[in-house]
Amino acid sequence: MVAADDADAPAETTAFREQLDALVGKPVGSGRASVAPDPVNQPMIRHWAAAFEDANPVYTDPTFAAASHFGAIVAPPLMLQTWTMATPMITGIGERGGAPVPSEGPSPLAVFDHAGFAGTLASNSEFEIERYLCLGETVRASTVIESISDRKQTRIGLGYFVTWITTYVDEAGEVVGRQRFRILKFKPAQA
Amino acid sequence: MTSASPFDTLRWDDVRVGDELPTLVIDVTATVVVAGAIATRDFMPVHHDRAYANSQGAPEIFMNILSDNAYCSRFLTDWAGPEAMITKLSIRLGVPSFAGSTLTYTGRVTGTMRHAADANGTVEVELRATNNLGDHVTGIAILRLPCAEEASTGRTSS
Repeated sequence: MVAADDADAPAETTAFREQLDALVGKPVGSGRASVAPDPVNQPMIRHWAAAFEDANPVYTDPTFAAASHFGAIVAPPLMLQTWTMATPMITGIGERGGAPVPSEGPSPLAVFDHAGFAGTLASNSEFEIERYLCLGETVRASTVIESISDRKQTRIGLGYFVTWITTYVDEAGEVVGRQRFRILKFKPAQA
Repeated sequence: MTSASPFDTLRWDDVRVGDELPTLVIDVTATVVVAGAIATRDFMPVHHDRAYANSQGAPEIFMNILSDNAYCSRFLTDWAGPEAMITKLSIRLGVPSFAGSTLTYTGRVTGTMRHAADANGTVEVELRATNNLGDHVTGIAILRLPCAEEASTGRTSS
């Protein structure tokens, strides 16, 4: 549609679309579930609550939390992603473009970079919370590519919206939450 | 426990479509950006190292996305109260939130639904965080709130 009017944009080939379609369902990252390095714990929750000046007493006040319908301290729901963040290797983090740890191989998204869609822009984050986490629980996260849009002409250039979904589970394997994250992989518009 | 306000939870019955949430203003200092990044275990240098941010074409360090989710969550429960449960937060990311700017969170209730199965109801909130550059975050959230009868019994137990 709009993309066809862009003189600089080579038409999407069937072969490229097939490459993209093959990515759907593929893991992002190492392919292994990332296990939280620490169980849900009060010191990290207190640090989080202090950083955001969130005075919600169910996060830090055991007496209040015990009398609430939660029955005990719970972790802030939107802290879910924090538990499974990789423990960073600080040395060299800038040289790695901000990646917390050295990569374990090519990203599945490298196909975009090779085709000139080198720009990356975060576009959407969508959390679904099934239940709040309690102290002592260890969560695991697995991330797969959920969908890749048609080629779109956007304000910042021609590109594709890539959505991946991270599923967070507890030690019993029950889902505690999901995050959909959407980025635009784009070819920066010519000045 | 001197102020009662952080300890009260809205009852679903008392929320109406069109209700506005109290505005939250965040003075986005460099400290705020760095504290949020580290508390969420996001060590990307663009969130704590100005020289690095400059080398990436940004005029300043800027807030990370995990902090955006955190502030949205605080904005919602500052209004709804500690026993509200956030079940969904869907945000669209707009202009960056650079150190040295001010973020203003506004929101209003766009839907309410009573659950037949239990003593809860849900409310849908449309929210927005803006700064001098435009919309930083826009989105919707769903919260579960106790209904009047559960709220009255639940609060006095233990």
